Formats: sequence, C-alpha cells, structure tokens
Amino acid sequence: MYNNVGAQPGVPRPPAISQPNPFGDTFYGAGSGLIRGGLGAYGEKILGSSSEYVQSNISRYFSDPQYYFQVNDQYVRNKLKVVLFPFLHRGHWTRITEPVGGRLSYKPPIYDINAPDLYIPFMAFGTYVVLAGFSLGLQGKFSPEALNWLFIKGLLGWFLQVSLLKLTLLSLGSGEAPLLDIVAYGGYCFTGLCVAILGRILFGYSYYFLMPWTCLCMGIFLVKTMKRVLFAEVRSYDSSRHHYLLLFIALAQFPLFTWLGITSVNWFI
Amino acid sequence: MTKEFAVPPVVFPSGGNPGAASGNIQQRRVATAPFQPSTSSLSFIPFDIGPAVGSSSSSAGIYGGGPIGGGPAPGNVNFEDEEPLLDELGIHPDQIWKKTKSVLNPFRVNPAVHKDSDLSGPILLYMALCLFQLLAGKIQFGVILGWIVVSSIFLYVVFNMLAGRNGNLDLHTCTSVVGYCMLPVVILAAVSLFVPQVGAVRFAVAAVFVLWATRVCTGLMVSLADGGDEHRGLISYAALLIYTLFSLLVIF
Repeated sequence: MYNNVGAQPGVPRPPAISQPNPFGDTFYGAGSGLIRGGLGAYGEKILGSSSEYVQSNISRYFSDPQYYFQVNDQYVRNKLKVVLFPFLHRGHWTRITEPVGGRLSYKPPIYDINAPDLYIPFMAFGTYVVLAGFSLGLQGKFSPEALNWLFIKGLLGWFLQVSLLKLTLLSLGSGEAPLLDIVAYGGYCFTGLCVAILGRILFGYSYYFLMPWTCLCMGIFLVKTMKRVLFAEVRSYDSSRHHYLLLFIALAQFPLFTWLGITSVNWFI
Repeated sequence: MTKEFAVPPVVFPSGGNPGAASGNIQQRRVATAPFQPSTSSLSFIPFDIGPAVGSSSSSAGIYGGGPIGGGPAPGNVNFEDEEPLLDELGIHPDQIWKKTKSVLNPFRVNPAVHKDSDLSGPILLYMALCLFQLLAGKIQFGVILGWIVVSSIFLYVVFNMLAGRNGNLDLHTCTSVVGYCMLPVVILAAVSLFVPQVGAVRFAVAAVFVLWATRVCTGLMVSLADGGDEHRGLISYAALLIYTLFSLLVIF
C-alpha cells in the first residue's frame, strides 16, 4: 500500500540508499577510498593545491586503515592471548613480509599473529569506558557527564602512550613506522586495563594484584614489539641506548595504568 | 436562522449543488492515486505554480474552479488533493508496528520487514525511552540522542571496516537497526522502575535485556548488509558494547 506513496520525492524523506554520498563511498571497499574520497577532497579545499600532493602526504602518515581491520575470530583470540600473557608466546615476534607489487609489505593480521590491528584497541577502549562507567555506578557517582569525562581521559591516555612510543622511535633517529601501527600498539594497553578493572568490580582487592601484573605483561609485550620495530627501522645500532629506552617504555606503563585505572571524575583522585 | 457572512460561499467546481459535492467526495477518496504523476515535479515549487504542472483530468477540473473558501491564492493545491499527512511525512504506522513486533522475538530474526529502513520508528522508541527515564527522575533527552548518533556511526564504521571490500552497509540502515533494537532497552527502562534500586536483581534483569538487544541487532545487521557473515562474533561484541552503554544509563 505504501509503495506508491514512497515513490514521491516531493515528500521530505531521508536520502535513498542508492544516492552516492562522499562518506558512504569512503568506507566502501579498501581504506584507500577514505583517503581518495574523503581526505583528498577536503585537503584540496583546505590547501588549495593539487590533491595528489595532499594524497601522497596523507598516505605517508595514515597508511591504509582497512589493513588493520582484516581480522577474524581466531586472530582476535590468539592476539588477546599474546597481549595478556606475552611470556607464553612461543613463536618469534617478527612480522611476516611478502613481496607485493615489487615492494615488501607486511602480511595482513589474518595471516600473521604479530601484525598490529585496530579492532582490538578500539573494542578494548570501548570496554574500558563501559567498565569504568560501571565501576563509577557501583560507587554511586554515575552520570552521563562522568562517562564523557572517562572517554576523554581514555583518549588522553591513549595519546600519551602513542606519543611515548613515537618519541622513543624519534629519539633513535627513525620515525618511519606508520602512525597507525603506533596507534595500534598503544591501544593494546586497554586490554590489560579492562581485565584489571573487571577484577576490581568482581573482587575489590584483586585489583592490587591484577594491576601490576597487567602492567608487567604490557611492558613485556611492548618491549618485545618495539625491539622488532626498532631493528627493522633504525640504521645505526646503539645497543645500550636501545635497551635503556626499551626499559623506560616498560617502566612508564606503571604510572600510566595507575592513572587510567583511577575511575573517578577528578584528575588524580 | 441565517446569518450574513462576509466570506463568499464555497464554490464547488461542478456547479455547487449537493450532487457535485458528493462527486468531490468520490474524488477525494482516490486523490492519492491520480495525484502521483503531478507531484513528481512539485518538490520545491511554491504553490502558486501548481496549475502550470500537467495534471490528470480529475484534477484539471478542480484547478479550473475558483479558490476554496477564499484561500490564499487562486489555483493552488486543494485540500482534497493533498495526501494524508502521515504518508507525506513518510511515517507508516503499520510498518513501524511490524518492525517493532519483529524485534520482540530474539530467537528468530526477520530481515525482510527491515529491508526499507526508516527513522521514524527509532524516534518513537527514543521518545519512549526518554519518557521512562523521565519517570525515573532523570532528564536525559539530549544525552540519549547523542549516544544513539555516536553509537550508530561507531557500528557503521566497524561493520564496513571489518567487511572490507564487500561491505555495503549505509548509515541510514545502520541507524534504523540500532534504533529498532533499542526496544529491549525501552522495556528495561520500564521494568527497572519497579525493580529495587539495590541488589543484584537489577543487574541480572539488565543483562537479559542487553543480550536480547545484542542478538537481534547482530542478526539484523548480518542479514541486511553483505560481508558481515564471517565477522558475526566481532560485530556482536561491538553491538554488546553499545547496548551495555545504554543499560548503564537505565540502571544507575
């Protein structure tokens, strides 16, 4: 009955599914669509130069995001095991490369357990926000504004983690690792954090055991990963500086996790 | 007892006698069908240009007549020729009811009903949720609306990124599905008005409704858009996060 009426475009209706819109196209298919369609268009407007220039710059900083979402259930399970119990990982930590179109590129996460992905960090971040909100509610201090505040705090923590890793890389003279790789490595910390907060919700005192444990595990994971990344990227091999920086990365996890684990609406209390 | 009116009497096109009036009533009943070809070009044209558009024979006679009841300008759209208001707004109550009923059964997903996505059902469910929250003493109209928008964008991004090349979910369908699957959360908001504030019963009841919403949402998303089949578990975790977030609003 409503089919006839639905055909009238004079009626104020939301746009039909078949209409192309820039944001719809960018997320279809590979992530290069995002760069070409969305960012390329805006880059042209903003910079006024040719979109080729903007596109190449953005591609340098923002490698194809779709690569990081090629995951499946099995990868997610195994990667969680690697992140939460890195000392149990028997295999090597290097990423598998394959020649693609004349250049060497890394295999996508489905085929390589050591490849970083962005699905786990995003879901872990969301879980952190939800669990932190839950623990706030158990203390009786829940409000939607508090949840927004926790979201911002989590984002800030993620940003601090990423800048820590990036600065370490830069201080050794190489900043060539793709930004999204570093973002992914930084986001893995939220998995351990979620486990610790879940422990605190279920048994109050288990938090004091789980928190240092997950800090340690995250430290080991980051050290092992960054060692491989540094070996792959850095030209001059200065052993002692490498080791001090890796140790610093591992030790910096403790204050970061402690700060993120304080689920309250104030900065430090 | 007749009164003197300054307004001229209504002039019906076929002569103004009761016989012609009943003829107009006949035309009014079928006003939707013959009116279709003309409105296709009427989208943003002001009413004055109405008679310039070619119309069917029954409407031509009406345009030929004078204004109805001293209306704003000669020859504009007649009241009988307008579509029913709900159809013009694109709100179809029976379709909304069918879709809402299909969400009620968590074990059998019915994607055929949800093929045409619409946003009016989700808006009704949003108002219902806000109403129950209001009854609980929480004024959260803006918060819930903002969270629905953000969470549907989030689910849209996650689904299309996971599905990759063959992902063809669009934002309208995504928002429609997320909105309709809020029905269990609305029922949770209603039920939690009567569940005691302290105690584990609240969490257990909320868990049941959240799992219900997640199951229906995942089933609909996977069957409405391509590319989601092999990532069912991953998408269902994202949906679980979204509905847990809304249940937090309801529980605390």
